[in-house]
Amino acid sequence: MSSKSDEQKMDRRSLIKAGVTVGSGVLLASAIKTSTSVADVVGGKSTQIKDLPKGMADDEFSRMQTELLKALAKPETENHWIMVIDQRKCVGCISCTVACKAENALPPGAVYRPVIEHEIGTFPNVRRSFLPRPCMHCENPPCVSVCPVNATYKRPDGIVSINYERCIGCRYCLNACPYGARQFDWGEYYTENTPEIQPYEKVANYEYGIGRVREKGNSPIGNARKCHFCVHRIKKGMLPTCVTTCMGRATYFGDLNDKKSLVHELIGSARVMRLKEELGTKPSVYYLV
Amino acid sequence: MTDNHKACPHLSRRDFLKSSAFLGSTSFLATTLAGAERSYANAVKSEDGTYPLIQPENILYSACLQCTVACSIKVKLIDGVAVKIDGNPYSTMTLAKNIPYATKPHDAVTIDGKLCPKGQAGIQHAYDPYRLRRVLKRKGPRGSNEWEVIPFDQAITEVVEGGKLFSHIGEDTDIPGLKDIIILKDATVAKAMKDDVDKIRKKEMTVAEFKEKHKNNLHYLIDPNHPDKGPKNNQFLYQVGRIHNGRKEFTQRWVKDSMGSVNWIEKTTLCGQTSNKSWTFSTMGYTSGKWGGGGHKSPRPDHWNNEFLLVFGTIIFEAAYGPVQQSEPITEGINSGRLKIAVVDPRMTKVASKAWKWLPVKPGTDGAFALAMIRWMLENDRYDKKYLANATKAAANADGELGYSNATYLVKIVDGDRAEKHLRASEIGIGTEEQFVVMQNGQPVAVTPEDKVDAIEGELFADTEIEGIKVKSPLQIIKEEAFSKTLEQWSEVTGIEVKDIIEVTKEFTSYGRKAGVEFYRGPIKHTNGWYNAHALIILNFLVGNPDWKGGTSKPGGGWNYMGANAGQPYDFKKLHPNKVNNFGIPITREGWNYEESTLFEGYPAKRPWYPFSGNVAQETWASANDEYPYGIKAALISSHTPMYSIPGGQAQLKTLLDPKKVPLLISCDIIVGDTSQYSDYIFPDITYLERWATPGAGHHDRVKNSQIRQPVIEPLTETVEVFGEKMPASLEALMMAIAEKLNSSGFGKDAFGQGMDLVRMEDYYLKNVANVTFDKGLNMPEDVQDDEMKLFRESRRHLTPAIFDEEKWKKALKPEEWKKVVYALNRGGRFESHEETYDGETIKKRLGGMSRLYLEEVATTRHAVSGKYFYGYPIYQTVLDSMGKEVNDKREFKLITFKEVWGTQSRTISNYWSQVSIMPENGVLMNSIDAQKLGIKNGDMVQIQSASNPEGIHLLDLGKSRPVIGKAKVVEGIRPGVVGISTHFGHWGYGSNDIVVDGAIIKGEAKRGAGVHPNPLFRLDDNLRGTTLSEPIGGSASFYDTEVTIIPL
Repeated sequence: MSSKSDEQKMDRRSLIKAGVTVGSGVLLASAIKTSTSVADVVGGKSTQIKDLPKGMADDEFSRMQTELLKALAKPETENHWIMVIDQRKCVGCISCTVACKAENALPPGAVYRPVIEHEIGTFPNVRRSFLPRPCMHCENPPCVSVCPVNATYKRPDGIVSINYERCIGCRYCLNACPYGARQFDWGEYYTENTPEIQPYEKVANYEYGIGRVREKGNSPIGNARKCHFCVHRIKKGMLPTCVTTCMGRATYFGDLNDKKSLVHELIGSARVMRLKEELGTKPSVYYLV
Repeated sequence: MTDNHKACPHLSRRDFLKSSAFLGSTSFLATTLAGAERSYANAVKSEDGTYPLIQPENILYSACLQCTVACSIKVKLIDGVAVKIDGNPYSTMTLAKNIPYATKPHDAVTIDGKLCPKGQAGIQHAYDPYRLRRVLKRKGPRGSNEWEVIPFDQAITEVVEGGKLFSHIGEDTDIPGLKDIIILKDATVAKAMKDDVDKIRKKEMTVAEFKEKHKNNLHYLIDPNHPDKGPKNNQFLYQVGRIHNGRKEFTQRWVKDSMGSVNWIEKTTLCGQTSNKSWTFSTMGYTSGKWGGGGHKSPRPDHWNNEFLLVFGTIIFEAAYGPVQQSEPITEGINSGRLKIAVVDPRMTKVASKAWKWLPVKPGTDGAFALAMIRWMLENDRYDKKYLANATKAAANADGELGYSNATYLVKIVDGDRAEKHLRASEIGIGTEEQFVVMQNGQPVAVTPEDKVDAIEGELFADTEIEGIKVKSPLQIIKEEAFSKTLEQWSEVTGIEVKDIIEVTKEFTSYGRKAGVEFYRGPIKHTNGWYNAHALIILNFLVGNPDWKGGTSKPGGGWNYMGANAGQPYDFKKLHPNKVNNFGIPITREGWNYEESTLFEGYPAKRPWYPFSGNVAQETWASANDEYPYGIKAALISSHTPMYSIPGGQAQLKTLLDPKKVPLLISCDIIVGDTSQYSDYIFPDITYLERWATPGAGHHDRVKNSQIRQPVIEPLTETVEVFGEKMPASLEALMMAIAEKLNSSGFGKDAFGQGMDLVRMEDYYLKNVANVTFDKGLNMPEDVQDDEMKLFRESRRHLTPAIFDEEKWKKALKPEEWKKVVYALNRGGRFESHEETYDGETIKKRLGGMSRLYLEEVATTRHAVSGKYFYGYPIYQTVLDSMGKEVNDKREFKLITFKEVWGTQSRTISNYWSQVSIMPENGVLMNSIDAQKLGIKNGDMVQIQSASNPEGIHLLDLGKSRPVIGKAKVVEGIRPGVVGISTHFGHWGYGSNDIVVDGAIIKGEAKRGAGVHPNPLFRLDDNLRGTTLSEPIGGSASFYDTEVTIIPL
């Protein structure tokens, strides 16, 4: 791949080493400068996208699929991915949580998309409510500004992304995120204290469109991790896995820049809200309550 | 190319050494995959933007089994390792508006269907680090968990030959082998004896006559004085849990037709059996003077067009029969304002959280609630009179109705006030003995239900005498029951305020036919469950909703996999030369009336009989213990864990551990499980990602779906050789190897007929697939083209010839079938389009017939123990034991159980992504009012006790036990006076415990034992020596009738 710059080749260990040795901001500054030009490994590349099967029905699900392909036909800078979660339709099944863990090979303790459950009221006037909480992909992401190595950054299409090669695992971003959306990969395996670590924990995973095996000393172990709207799927014309697996069809995804899109329609609802609006983070995840 | 991943792309050597160290010299948990290192080395050569999970050759379609719904799935693999499971977009089960069946798999890759969290975590069920790979034989007493690994062939020889199998550990007992039990193998003799036992049953032959006629063969029988106990072969018991179509018949072929034992017993009475049976009887047709045929076990509301849905105790977003299918139409309906829901359940379930009204009813009073509703409906004239009055098909046709009912078919009242049989026209001289009688303008009229000419409408409320015979109409009888209490009294019984009962009933009767009642397990797992079910079914009939859009209808079903239809290639009924006819009374006495057996000696019978049910799981071990009707000599358990899942299972532990009661106990399991750990031998089985089946469609599919389960990963078990063929150790291999050793019919060379062998699994299962493929109807598979054939091969490149060998697969079929079968396999089944759901205002797949408000065959049958007659209509009954005595332990709490959406009873504790991560342990759910009374705070430990378990102890083996202790989970969303415990925690096997294999300790994972399991607490029947309370008609084991005491610790 000729598009790779030398900067990107520098892995995070050499970066740390360099930082320690040089002890100045110069190298980091240069890293910051280049990181935006080092397009996300998936972003910016035009890979061939499959058309939808012929004869798909006309419902919200297929509409989202269709709109996704339409949006991908535009330059990435013209996309603004957003998610809309209808709490009235969320049945609290946590299928999204689990699908996400599988899709992104998340280690024990890491969850990109928990579903937070509350019980409200007292017997017999009581309800249970369910709130899926992915990364908000803020317009003003507090996690980005605290990253000392600019490993985390806002992509032109709105996704807040992490460059694992650059991330030094300092975890500042974990504290900075007001939504608790960031996780850390401590390098654990689910089956490590059993007779045998299982193969599904040791095969490559394709988060961000790069095949990586979770092995000690290598990304994503030792990195901050978070929801990326399944950017590796989006770029192939697939909806995020939390959207496709949702049994209640409570989660919507699409391009806010497409004024005719389903998500654009939905956020015109009187029921719309965003989490912690007062912080000025401007989330790209909207809720219908 | 930049190598961004410096990761060592293979399983490290360290991991292998670590496991070997754990395992000592044994290899019972062998390395996961043959050539694993090679696979991983090849795994990563990605470019930016690579996503191998959309390459069609990395995708295989199959069917889930994380619960019994068997959703269609799309399994994605990286170098032969399954890494992600999604819903199959070809099927309406997992994509409501499914993609066209004709879509090439290459073009379907980017569309993922929906799936529940259990399905999503299924990978971890298959790749469980505690998976059993080789045969274990116990090396200490049963339950000691000391094992040795023995070769498969040796194990087969031992279980077949018997002998002093455990002499090397100091046990001198001579154990009967299967060869000593399976002695009747002569098909002719078996057939002759079977026919004559049928005659004895019908009182057409005496036992003496039988003994004379069969005097040379009496040695085959368990008891020549009771030929209806059947041959000694019946002393072999096969007890199975969650098994699906295809595998079900494979095992029945072996147990029933090859081994000649009647005892193939599934676990269904632990599940929804009473619901299934009650629906079946309530929708049964009447032809040629007999009830039977046409009954449907699972009619369900049409959620896509319901306007009012009344849910009784079924947690439809979490368990039941299809959260994946049910959630979407319901949330859509709630969101659009089309649908209003009310939920009757002591616990605030997830569906209750979406309801307009939650009615926290007292457990076990669902039927009472329904009767209160019926009272109000009748009093206020809010029911579909027209539908109910139509007594013949012609009458229904005349009104444009889709069905009719027996609401008006007169019932004889005998012994004062007991409703008995329907009056027959012949009895009053107005017709034949096959005709019923209704009142019309005060006059009796003969009725033939199927009559397409005479449009007869009956009087709904009849209470009269005809020629000295006292008669009433079913609706009259039901009315009297409903009016036996005032609404205030019903309110007292149910714990629901009168105004709420009225409000709900008003709503229920405000949407015409677009209202429906749904229930499954909640209302029926009570001793009064049958009547609850019948009452709830009748609510549907009272609004006349069957078969209407938005009403209630049957599921779409699937194509016939057994080949019984014309034009299908493999009619399995005809494919078993020298089949041994099994006969006799099953050990559970199911399908038999006590009175028709030679064992009848008045009431009470020693144990209950279940003429209306089947697969009465809670009866097997207790009956073996009582040797009623006979003792057993050998048992094989698979996919079932009675000690974990039969209520009060531990009461039968002593039977399992007693070699006198169960001389040979064999398990076939994927793991050393909570029950298989008590066995003499454990044979390894394969999981749903490694095996075959043709499960049917779910309860909430409205179109035809036939999913195909097929091997998608290389089986993890050792490879064995049977009939000269290599295959993975599995239930199939075990059965085939025993058949080979016993030289029994139905397996091996020419097993299906001349030139048709059954020597590999697919010899059987691919014929099921071919039947599905060639059954008539829509979307019949076509010949695949070369690109699809290539894909078929490439997507199975990771499978070894023991499981996938194209030439051998082809040989299972006729050459002309192959390309069409591949078409179905490439899509994971055969599926109709969602567009086949409706026909105008009706549902295409219809019940189409009789709605039965009265069941005369039930009303004329007695409980074998109490001797009391059952009721043919819904009544309200308190908790009763088998003698009909009220059970009232006067303890403070009623115990209910439930499932979380990520849990399936006994087999999801290995699911780290879901169960283990989401809720590491369960708790004892109680209302804050109760907690406060007891001085309990959230998180406090409590011990639970019941009348049947006054100490609150869980027996683990004869010398080991643990207290039943759990963490209080204090909530608002449960009725005060009720405590709830979910049923997927508290394992003591299944990888939670340390075991010894060949002298080495295999450490268990303590977290698999976390939480509390309510099983030891369930209320046992005082008359039945360690059997749970049961519902006597449908046969359900009671789960929600136990009273408990909570002791703060």
